[in-house]
Amino acid sequence: MHTVVLMLEGTQVTLQIFFITLIFSLPLGLLAAFGRLSSLKLVSRFMEFYIWLMRGTPLMLQLLFVYFALPMVGIMLPDLVAALLAFTLNYAAYFAEIFRAGIQSISKGQYEAAKTLGMTHKQTMRRIIIPQMIRYVLPPVSNETINLVKDTSLIYILAMNDLLRVARTIVQREFDMTPFVVAAVFYLIMTAVLTWGFKKLEAYYGKYDK
Amino acid sequence: MENMTNNDVMLRLTQIHKRFGDLEILKGINLELKKGEVMAVIGPSGSGKSTLLRCINRLEEIDSGKIEIKGRVLAQNNGENVAEYVSEKESRNILSCTGMVFQQFNLFPHMTVMQNLLEAPVQVQKRKKEEVIPEAEALLKKVGLLEKKDWYPSRLSGGQQQRVAIARALCMKPDIMLFDEPTSALDPELTGEVLKTMRELADEHMTMMVVTHEMNFAREAASHVVFVEGGVIVEEGPARQVIDNPQEERTQAFLKNML
Ligand SMILES: Nc1ncnc2c1ncn2[C@@H]1O[C@H](COP(=O)(O)OP(=O)(O)O)[C@@H](O)[C@H]1O
Ligand SMILES: [Mg+2]
Repeated sequence: MHTVVLMLEGTQVTLQIFFITLIFSLPLGLLAAFGRLSSLKLVSRFMEFYIWLMRGTPLMLQLLFVYFALPMVGIMLPDLVAALLAFTLNYAAYFAEIFRAGIQSISKGQYEAAKTLGMTHKQTMRRIIIPQMIRYVLPPVSNETINLVKDTSLIYILAMNDLLRVARTIVQREFDMTPFVVAAVFYLIMTAVLTWGFKKLEAYYGKYDK
Repeated sequence: MENMTNNDVMLRLTQIHKRFGDLEILKGINLELKKGEVMAVIGPSGSGKSTLLRCINRLEEIDSGKIEIKGRVLAQNNGENVAEYVSEKESRNILSCTGMVFQQFNLFPHMTVMQNLLEAPVQVQKRKKEEVIPEAEALLKKVGLLEKKDWYPSRLSGGQQQRVAIARALCMKPDIMLFDEPTSALDPELTGEVLKTMRELADEHMTMMVVTHEMNFAREAASHVVFVEGGVIVEEGPARQVIDNPQEERTQAFLKNML
């Protein structure tokens, strides 16, 4: 029983990282997508570079960099903040690419119709483009979100007691494999809930195409 | 004799030039649209009809020339014969009296028919929703789609979607309506219902400019016909005269092909 309590505490750390990363990386990803599509060359080049960097290197390396390299140049961050920074920057890059593709999949005619009705660019984005984009991007966003649940386990290298690390500690101490099985079940429950949630969202946003 | 004051001219284009890259698409178009006139623009595909229409409401920007809408200048040449536009805000203001209907309808798919109609009056004109709803319902009734007001566009036929698109544009109470081949994307059996709606609009003296391949519509519903080929107006005049009795050889050849 004690094992389960410990593991629930680990789950709390996992969920904390998961939710905070999601809350920051989604809007940041949308901003980055707009930056990537910006007509200002400097902005779009910079975003391209950022996305390339984040998607082209392992998340593990990014975590280690934030955790070990930043303090060397005098930037000291609490463990949790360091982990969140790496996760958020990494996931924002993936979300940015998804959002960019979503925005680009919307036909020119939608912008033109909005313009001939007198809508400003901002109104067009907010009322016409983004709501339609959400529907297109839900499936890939759902995939990334489920990946994030599992990727949170990478923080075990930062000595934070997330679900997986707690499980490993107990296994090593008691020579009993059960905590691994329990951890697997916990991860499965989390991803199942997410899958269900996204299905609901997709149904909601899909109600207009038949 | 008609005594035309300036107020009767809804749209005046002077020496419009427009190029895409090295290709000059409009080569000096002059045109005047008076209040209540229905102008049909005909011509072979690729002749610049859509571009002409899209230059009027700034979906495309002209390179040189002058555009006046209800006496207000949208764009005119500077000293170097290059067209300069008024500010975005001013331009939106000037163009608020125009509405457009596209070949591909371009309804907002994530909104119901009613929401499509309410969107611009509420968001752009900042009118109260409750105040616009009765007007929107009247328009939907007029185009025969009131019972579909809570449907999403994807469930409507092409002809129904286009009639909603017309109602959506009318809901902004425009003085000039621009139509770019409104029936070209429709199955032949669905063009009739859209043309009927447009005829009714013409009968109510809406000022309209219609790019179309429907020669019967042009002849019967339009007051004027303009024949465009290769980026210039080859012939223009009263609808029946141009269609039944064209003077220019190129017009004759085009019309022979259409029948
Ligand atoms: N955005 C664009 N960029 C480049 N060329 C264009 C563009 N839009 C139209 N054109 C070209 O301009 C010419 C006239 O097009 P358009 O005005 O659509 O003719 P129409 O409506 O009479 O068929 C065509 O050759 C077309 O390929
Ligand atoms: Mg065309």
